[in-house]
Amino acid sequence: MEFVNESQEKIKSDLLTVNMGPQHPATHGVLRVEIKTDSEIVSEAIPHIGYLHRCMEKHSENLDYRGVIPFTDRMDYLAAMSMEWGYSLAVEKMLGTEVPERAEYLRVIIGELQRIASHLLFYGVYAIDLGAFSPFLYAFQDREEILRLFEEISGARLLYNYIWIGGVWNDVDDDQLRRISKFCDKMEENMKKYHSLVGMNKIFRERTANVGVVNEKMAYQYGATGAVLRGSGVKWDLRKDRTYGIYDKFDFDVPVGTGEMGTLGDCWDRYDVRVREVFESIKIIRQALEGIEAGPIMGKVSKIIKPPKGEIYMRTECPRGELGYHLVSDGKAKPYRLKVKSSCFTHVSMLGELGKGQMIADFVATIGSIDIVLGEVDR
Amino acid sequence: MSAQKEITFATDDELTFGKWLNNIWVGLSTVLKGMGITFKYIYNVKPVTIEYPEVREELPANSRSRLFNDAENCISCYQCATACPVDCIYITAKRREMDAPALKTSDGTAIKLDLLQYTIDTALCCYCGLCTTVCPTECLTHTTDYEFAQYTLDEMKYDYLATDIRAWRERIVK
Repeated sequence: MEFVNESQEKIKSDLLTVNMGPQHPATHGVLRVEIKTDSEIVSEAIPHIGYLHRCMEKHSENLDYRGVIPFTDRMDYLAAMSMEWGYSLAVEKMLGTEVPERAEYLRVIIGELQRIASHLLFYGVYAIDLGAFSPFLYAFQDREEILRLFEEISGARLLYNYIWIGGVWNDVDDDQLRRISKFCDKMEENMKKYHSLVGMNKIFRERTANVGVVNEKMAYQYGATGAVLRGSGVKWDLRKDRTYGIYDKFDFDVPVGTGEMGTLGDCWDRYDVRVREVFESIKIIRQALEGIEAGPIMGKVSKIIKPPKGEIYMRTECPRGELGYHLVSDGKAKPYRLKVKSSCFTHVSMLGELGKGQMIADFVATIGSIDIVLGEVDR
Repeated sequence: MSAQKEITFATDDELTFGKWLNNIWVGLSTVLKGMGITFKYIYNVKPVTIEYPEVREELPANSRSRLFNDAENCISCYQCATACPVDCIYITAKRREMDAPALKTSDGTAIKLDLLQYTIDTALCCYCGLCTTVCPTECLTHTTDYEFAQYTLDEMKYDYLATDIRAWRERIVK
């Protein structure tokens, strides 16, 4: 008897389905990615979301306009100040409220500090994703200082409820402003050090350069915003191009990807854009600290907020990209509809195309580089 | 079903001897630079970790933690319960008898309602601080107490008319 395997010529290669997440440490929250693997190579990646869905939009229809702010905090819990700011701007624009000068300056200072804190977290967690542990500790050491400051100013560490409709909740004293200025000096030095520790490292460069390339066309097609869009070489920043608040008073650059380590729009470019944004934020904070003057911090807002009938779409530049609030009012004390356009949601949808043909380890680097927060994706 | 997709890996154009040497040099120098930064952290860096049960952190004065209601100054106006976005404040009050002696809060507001129940479900509370800002007599405040774990959810409901609650407050705020 002959044992001849007739099908030896064409060995069946079946795809193995692996679930990455929802408790995977590299998926930054509760994202589940269904990966069809061909040995080590991802042949298909399907992101599944919805594990952190908390009905924020529906909840807000049953709350008064002030009560929505704590809920907006809980969307992007790593950049809660930016979330509040966008919502407050939307309601203020509907009401036609004038925000006092000092409150506007405080918002810029706090918002940029929040951006630094968020980017520091990205820096630390991204290094962990790629196998370096100590940068995470350094980043958190500095982030802790920002959070401590926020706690003193607003009373909470992560979910602040600080930026209110018409102004800000609490005033900042001179001592705290001096501390912010001192922190900026320290941060500038530290960030240069951190960048040479991780960003210039050969191993890190090999892991991120030419990986997860988002070219300009793809970024436009998916509607990418924020650092993902800027990493692809598009100079688009709402703070500059569609100015809100008092950002037109400040002089700062918009960092874009250069492709100096590999292809334009790869993971390294997105990392680099975020690191350079920290320096720009420091620049803005310094100018704001010079310009800030004493004055009231709360504008005139009636006790029960009732915006006139109509709708508004307000978008702001958050650390993770563009955040839009579509607010519909029917003239009553509660919002008729509040739709949130989240940047992370659009970025998650890119994962399917980005993941195709990558190694699994590179896929981890790609997820980390687009910097998603699942609280904002699911809302 | 098999993956027919061609996999291409990013490679250098052509590895010459010079490039090979350069790669080694870049790899060594950048890693050593990183190690240098890491070694600097061994000495002369203050530890930032707080060893929790032994060392207890003092929270800033306006830190928003567990709520406290000074029931004697409460006029049962329901404003906190209305402002609360998660509805965790339960109040029951009754109109005061006409012949009962007149009561006043410490800031002089007349108390017209008898407070029968004032309970806050701390497990439900989101610590947003909206209730404390609307309080007219400023009897509802956030304390800086952050240690209030309980065994059951029911124990997280704090009755601010209970006798021992004031003792708790005095332990926190000296």
